[in-house]
Amino acid sequence: MIINILLIIAFGGAFLVYLAGKISGKLRNILSIIISLVILTLIVMLQGKEIEVNYFHFFNFPLMFRINVLSWFFALLISFLTTLSLIFSLNYMKGKENLDFYYLMLLLVNASMLAIVLSGDLLSFYIFWETMSWSTFLLISYNKGKAINAALKYIIMSIAGSLAMLLAIILIYIKFQSFDILFISTHINMSSQNFAILIFLLLSIGFGVKSAIVPLHAWLPDAHAEAPSPFSAILSGILIKMGIYGFLLLFYVILGLKILLSLNIWGIKLNYIFALLGAISVLVPSMIAIFQTDAKRVLAWSSIGQIGYIAIGITIGSSIGTAGGLFHLFSHTIFKALLFFSIAAVEYRTGTRDLNKLGGLMKKMPIVFIGCLISVLGLIGIPLTNGFVSKWLIYKALFLNQNYFLLFIALISTWAAILYGFKILHHIFLGQLSQEHIKVKKAPLGMQIPIMILSFLVLLFGIFPGLALKTINKLIVNIGFKSLSVNLFGIVSETGPLNIINIFAGLMAILLLIIIVFKLGKKKTNIKQDDNYAAGSYIPIDKYHFTSNFYAPLFGIIKPLLIDHIDNFYLWVANRIRSLSDKVRKIYCGNVNVYVIYIIGFAALLIILKIGLKLW
Amino acid sequence: MNPVYLIIIPLLSAFSIPLFGLISKKLVKFIPPLAMLFNAVYAILLIPQILKKPIVVLMGGYSLPFGINLFVGPLGIIFTGVIAIIGFIVSFYAINYIKEGDKEKYHMLYLLLLTGATGAVLTGDIFNLFVFCEILCISSFALVADLGDKRSIESSVKYLIQGSVGSGFMLLGIGLLYGQFGTLNMAHLAQIITEKYGAAQSIPIDLFIPFVFVIIGFGIEGSIFPLNAWLPDAHSSAPSTISAVLSGLAIEIGLYAIIRFVFTIFGITSILPALAILGLITLVIGEITAFAQANIKRMLAYSSIGQLGLIFFAISIGTSEAITGGLFQFLTHAFSKALLFLSVGYMIYRTKSMEISSFKGIGKKMPFASLAFLIGSFSLVGLPLFMGFSSKFIIVKSAILKNSTLFNILIMVVLLCTIIEGAYFFKVIQTIYFKKSNNIEIKKAPATAVIAFFILIIIIIGLGIYPNEVFKILQCGATELLDKSQYIRSVLG
Repeated sequence: MIINILLIIAFGGAFLVYLAGKISGKLRNILSIIISLVILTLIVMLQGKEIEVNYFHFFNFPLMFRINVLSWFFALLISFLTTLSLIFSLNYMKGKENLDFYYLMLLLVNASMLAIVLSGDLLSFYIFWETMSWSTFLLISYNKGKAINAALKYIIMSIAGSLAMLLAIILIYIKFQSFDILFISTHINMSSQNFAILIFLLLSIGFGVKSAIVPLHAWLPDAHAEAPSPFSAILSGILIKMGIYGFLLLFYVILGLKILLSLNIWGIKLNYIFALLGAISVLVPSMIAIFQTDAKRVLAWSSIGQIGYIAIGITIGSSIGTAGGLFHLFSHTIFKALLFFSIAAVEYRTGTRDLNKLGGLMKKMPIVFIGCLISVLGLIGIPLTNGFVSKWLIYKALFLNQNYFLLFIALISTWAAILYGFKILHHIFLGQLSQEHIKVKKAPLGMQIPIMILSFLVLLFGIFPGLALKTINKLIVNIGFKSLSVNLFGIVSETGPLNIINIFAGLMAILLLIIIVFKLGKKKTNIKQDDNYAAGSYIPIDKYHFTSNFYAPLFGIIKPLLIDHIDNFYLWVANRIRSLSDKVRKIYCGNVNVYVIYIIGFAALLIILKIGLKLW
Repeated sequence: MNPVYLIIIPLLSAFSIPLFGLISKKLVKFIPPLAMLFNAVYAILLIPQILKKPIVVLMGGYSLPFGINLFVGPLGIIFTGVIAIIGFIVSFYAINYIKEGDKEKYHMLYLLLLTGATGAVLTGDIFNLFVFCEILCISSFALVADLGDKRSIESSVKYLIQGSVGSGFMLLGIGLLYGQFGTLNMAHLAQIITEKYGAAQSIPIDLFIPFVFVIIGFGIEGSIFPLNAWLPDAHSSAPSTISAVLSGLAIEIGLYAIIRFVFTIFGITSILPALAILGLITLVIGEITAFAQANIKRMLAYSSIGQLGLIFFAISIGTSEAITGGLFQFLTHAFSKALLFLSVGYMIYRTKSMEISSFKGIGKKMPFASLAFLIGSFSLVGLPLFMGFSSKFIIVKSAILKNSTLFNILIMVVLLCTIIEGAYFFKVIQTIYFKKSNNIEIKKAPATAVIAFFILIIIIIGLGIYPNEVFKILQCGATELLDKSQYIRSVLG
């Protein structure tokens, strides 16, 4: 019952908020926060429970909700992030038009994501999946202008993906006469290898589009960049992980570990192919991210890269790998949302997110700077941040699995992450303060709170990874893996434990060393932020940024390799259809004589086919 | 209860309109909604009785097979019900919408059109079917020209020419059948054909020629490719209320006639795969052509062609479930397309333009009409929680269940077309809601229109969530089509 109530609040609340907005804006804002908090509390209360409810019959198919560790984990992330995003929106969206619509859609996306993870059968999974797709589409379009094309690209790819999914779901139903995920998972053994491969491929298209695995990523950079920023945080933080949730469901619940590892086409293992796609998703988009000048676009490409890590983690098929993938999913949700919030706060105050126009905001917006710093550290995977733990686990798993090639690619991509992470940090907060930004104020409190909470969490789970690893451990046991021995500071294993305390000690030692070296060196002099050394030449007052053309030498070498051919291919297909459409239109030429010829001709054709070819 | 009233009441009210016009010009516009409301209620009340046993009504007291009879089975009552409900909603909408021109003629022709449609689906006699179809066609020729401008008259004449060619084919086909078998009664004809050719492996040529003629004749009305060239012009230049009825109902009558001939009268199922491919071609051509349209009504008209193709495809799969899915798709299309045309009607009326680009930012100024468009297109694209999903789901499921390579490939094409369909509908939605408006004062749609929108929206969402009851009725319709001998028995006894 509690799940039903939860979802009724989630969906009903969304519309209630919309109606409240017709009365007053304040009421709407308060109500939306209350609703999201109520949902969050209910989900926290559901911890550790396993409930199953039949809630409806669509045709004769029973639809059910089911909660277990896997869905609880995702539900918690969803509602937590939505709550923060709503708090952030209060300030960020103030004064914009159509706010009722904005809050309605935000809560609708939230509700449908919750319903997806709580779905116990594939049909309701699909139904809420589609609800999520179109409400996301409407929300991405919200910013108008460039956002319109971005949203269109999103929804077209999304429809394509979900139709593949529909096909798979119906195939499964015809095979097993049931949509119930648990029922299918217990009976999947009876199906043939080919059937499993077919299901695997079809569902992968559906989930792959949502989670933006290369080559299905083309919608993401535009959509993430153009969506309203608080929603970008949700989009990148949790919505694309719905695809990962789908993959987990497919790999470990529906197919199960044994079948997953046995699937192959002409001897090539499917899970390895998938991991390779993950690796490409890590490598190329991370490189592309370096060259972006729009801050949100950097983050968008980075999201594809990070999803790649998660994809690699969950497909290796080992306990540590899956735990790593899940932990990275969790970490990425936190630090990517934090990054989006930081950049949104900067955009809110300065009105731009063009990296080449910003700079030197460190002292103007200290909290945002610290938040951004911490999240970039998490992104890169510096010890004591949550990103370190997850990357450590993934590398470890690759190492143990002797996947040195993937390991190599993952490591290189971290290098790219350092470059773009530092680029963001530097271009926005370091360097010279632009003249027009001298009067920039601090971010409002409503924006600082989510930033502070998330920064705290990055460090908390970086220092005490055990807090999350315990749940993740339960989760991977639930989906059929061996248990890891987890303690508060990491995991214990015979092949090399993860212990944050040791790492902490090591770090402290290095830090001490650095301090000593610096103390021994020359005494530093303080220079004002706007006092720039320009080798005696005239400093233009409007903009003098050392960082334009930051990685110029690198540009020359790898940029030609990084054209997004896949995106171009999709655009080419769209153009072909358009020109085909123009050609087909000519059938209806407007001349009624020709039309009558069609009619007579068609009659003649049918009779000729009958007499000549003896058809029918 | 006598189903004859379903035809008599609208017919009489149609001809009473000029009389009422003598009393008061304002009274006229209320007659169509009343007549259709009667039909809707009466049809719904008849349903339980008909599901138990089809009603056969003898006209003029001549016994079968010599007299004309009405056969009111599940299929007939489904069509009648949909005609009446949509007819009611559209005429309710028209109370305010139809302002210019000769209102009396408009309302009279409108009712005649619906009478023709109702008669065509209820009759049990092929010549009678032809007559009712002609009533429908002739009143729609006139209604297409209702606006009286050059464009609408031109399309009306084009429609008239092609429609007349179609009638010629129909009449030839019916004549050939009558000449060979000496009867016009559907059941009797079906009986004779089964007795004579039931065991034949291939379709004999003397059956095939009338079959082709009939298919072509009704195919023009049912807008199957390549017989549908009249449709985009006619649908886009008619008043929006008429477009809604033509798209939502009239072309489906052609479809009804075809499936009645294919399944009940001729009983030739070997031709079904070919018809499925034909339906699919219609779908592909319709959707691809709609993709690049800049004129909203033309876009919707081409989309109707596509939807018709889909219905035709689904029914041609030939299993009970597939036919049910096809009938469900007919409901989806009728309601959704009516909603789309009605919502667009006031947008065009207010902006005085049919170009999609002129609807920029209209979402704020006409919230209800825009919402109606949104829901109509969601439903047609087949998103869950809306009616379109229920029907598309069944069609896809039944096509895969058919378990033949041909249909597996065909259903993939259907799904690809859905992507194209989604693309052009979502593009319009974005134009309506998310493009900067060109700051012209635009009034909202009036209350009658908004009520009409909401009735349709409730139906669309309601059947999207609770399809079960309607699905059961549709299943009976499918059984009626597939069980030819039952049909013959219930008419001839």
